[in-house]
Amino acid sequence: MKILIIEDEKELAKDIADYLSSVGYLCEFAATFSLAIEKIEMYNYDCILLDLMLPGGSGLSILEKLKASKKQDGIIIVSAKNSIEDKVKGLQIGADDYLEKPFNHAELAARIFSVIRRKQFNNANFFEQGNIKINLNAKNVTVNDSILNLTKKEYDLLLFFMGNKNKVISKNALAEHLSGDIADMFDNFDFVYAHVKNLKKKLNEVGCSNIIKTVYGTGYKWDM
Amino acid sequence: MKKKLLNRPLKAFTIYALIVLVCSIPMYYFVIDAIWIEELDQHNLIIKQRIEKHFEDEKVNENELAFIFNFWDVLQPGTKLIPIANAKRNSDSVYTVTKGDENDRFRGLLSTIFVNGKSFQLTVETNVEEVDETLLAIALVTFLFFSLMVTGFIILNRKMAKKIWKPFRNTLDKVKKFDLQKNQNIHFEKSDIEEFDELNVELNKLIENNIIAFNRQKTFIENASHELQTPLAVLKSKVEMLMQNEQLSEKQAEIINAIQIPLARVSRINKNLLLLAKIENNQFIETETIELSVLLHENLELLSDYIDAKKLTVKVKLNQQIALVSNQTLMEILLNNLLINAIIHSTENSEILINISGNKITISNSGIAALNHKTIFNRFVVSSTNNTNSGLGLAIAKEICNRYQWNLTYSFVNNYHEFSVKFE
Repeated sequence: MKILIIEDEKELAKDIADYLSSVGYLCEFAATFSLAIEKIEMYNYDCILLDLMLPGGSGLSILEKLKASKKQDGIIIVSAKNSIEDKVKGLQIGADDYLEKPFNHAELAARIFSVIRRKQFNNANFFEQGNIKINLNAKNVTVNDSILNLTKKEYDLLLFFMGNKNKVISKNALAEHLSGDIADMFDNFDFVYAHVKNLKKKLNEVGCSNIIKTVYGTGYKWDM
Repeated sequence: MKKKLLNRPLKAFTIYALIVLVCSIPMYYFVIDAIWIEELDQHNLIIKQRIEKHFEDEKVNENELAFIFNFWDVLQPGTKLIPIANAKRNSDSVYTVTKGDENDRFRGLLSTIFVNGKSFQLTVETNVEEVDETLLAIALVTFLFFSLMVTGFIILNRKMAKKIWKPFRNTLDKVKKFDLQKNQNIHFEKSDIEEFDELNVELNKLIENNIIAFNRQKTFIENASHELQTPLAVLKSKVEMLMQNEQLSEKQAEIINAIQIPLARVSRINKNLLLLAKIENNQFIETETIELSVLLHENLELLSDYIDAKKLTVKVKLNQQIALVSNQTLMEILLNNLLINAIIHSTENSEILINISGNKITISNSGIAALNHKTIFNRFVVSSTNNTNSGLGLAIAKEICNRYQWNLTYSFVNNYHEFSVKFE
């Protein structure tokens, strides 16, 4: 899976690439407007991460170009502007998702995961990892052919974990994933523990024990 | 009660006029009395001279004199003629006397006249007005004029006040209506009165400077938080990269965790500052009709994890359906901030009461002591010792309410903190 990171902040681009590479994506960079145009004209990507403020031009015009050339690349806008107008405009032009800076790498990986799945399969949209099989359209999970009954939040958590295989995910990132911007306002994320505990229990019951590991002091890890 | 400016000189003028007029009463009296007595003295003297002249001209003999004497009272009422011996010439003297049942006052002239070589003492007495009568008359006239004057003052004052203060009232009304946050300029009407014109010019300068300073501050906050976003994103990214390190010891993991908490707070504050600046800059223009109870339940659903974590009970009393034309994002932020505030400041196992009625939504949570009404909606006023919140949540809620002219109020009733938004 190929990802293009259009981002002028080199350190940030490098970290994103490091993280995404470690969960199995192939990453390329474009740090300026013209470089980005060059890349998208020459190659196809599964997903493009697009910063809106670039040296040499606006990310929105890149988005317009992509849409005009009828490219199927998934596009996630990553912006520090936090402007509702840009978000609405970006999604109207045809971006698949919008993520505000600063964000968690795990959240980004989960969004990329979701965008790519949405783009690639239309009818039978299945995702398999180990013996866990997810029907993304019907939103049901089967393990070794037995159905796993999950709440909406547990299902979201499961997808989030699977999109961040073998990474340490902080409680904070999980809380933000489950409740969005609201998580920003709280410091107590104990409810995450409750949801993870339930998910673990349900996975144990179908024989998938020890996949979610607690990492002392920081969070959890999906160990597959 | 506050006094009106123009009533102050009116009162002073009235008192001054009263003092002057009261003082004038004895002065008038003395002057009138003195003139009167002077006139009466002359009058008495004229009578005396006339009597003397008559006697001289007529050359009366002894018999006639005796006859005249008998009829003296009839001939010359108010005078007396008594024969005396060996009187000296020119021994006129004047006096004042009161006599009779009604204590009438008389001015008298005591003089000596000579008729046929004999000396007589002539007394001429003329009635003078009494002291009290004169005084009363003067006082009555004076008070009549005084009341005329005061009525005049009041009427003139009222008429003048309306006219004179009109430009001032105009200016005051405009200053009252002026709202720095509404991004509007102010124009005062020209006045032909120098002082008011000067006031308007200076007020204009003051307001213009305020607008400039306010805009500068807004731009500064917006730019500053924009500039902070990227380094914050890098910082967060680096901490996360560190977290992925396999060789991390427990101690190091703890430190990373400890870095993440304040880092989250900084980005929270920064996001909120940016949001405040945007609300102030009149972004979020699009409006739609929003059903308050629907939005409330959506928000409560989003917050359910946090409500459950504190074992809170939320009781919603819906007595009215309120449909509001406003911006969806702002409305969500407003409700969220008030709900989050209630959740954060609730003790575990307590209740949050939400009441929608009378065009008003009230969100209450249990509490121990009232918060400071004056500062509660100010920026960075943190009421509790837990420093998790950004100190901007209520300021943002207030700003949103200001935007739509809704009234956000706080009160402390029966150990409950109550935040109400009255939709006008």
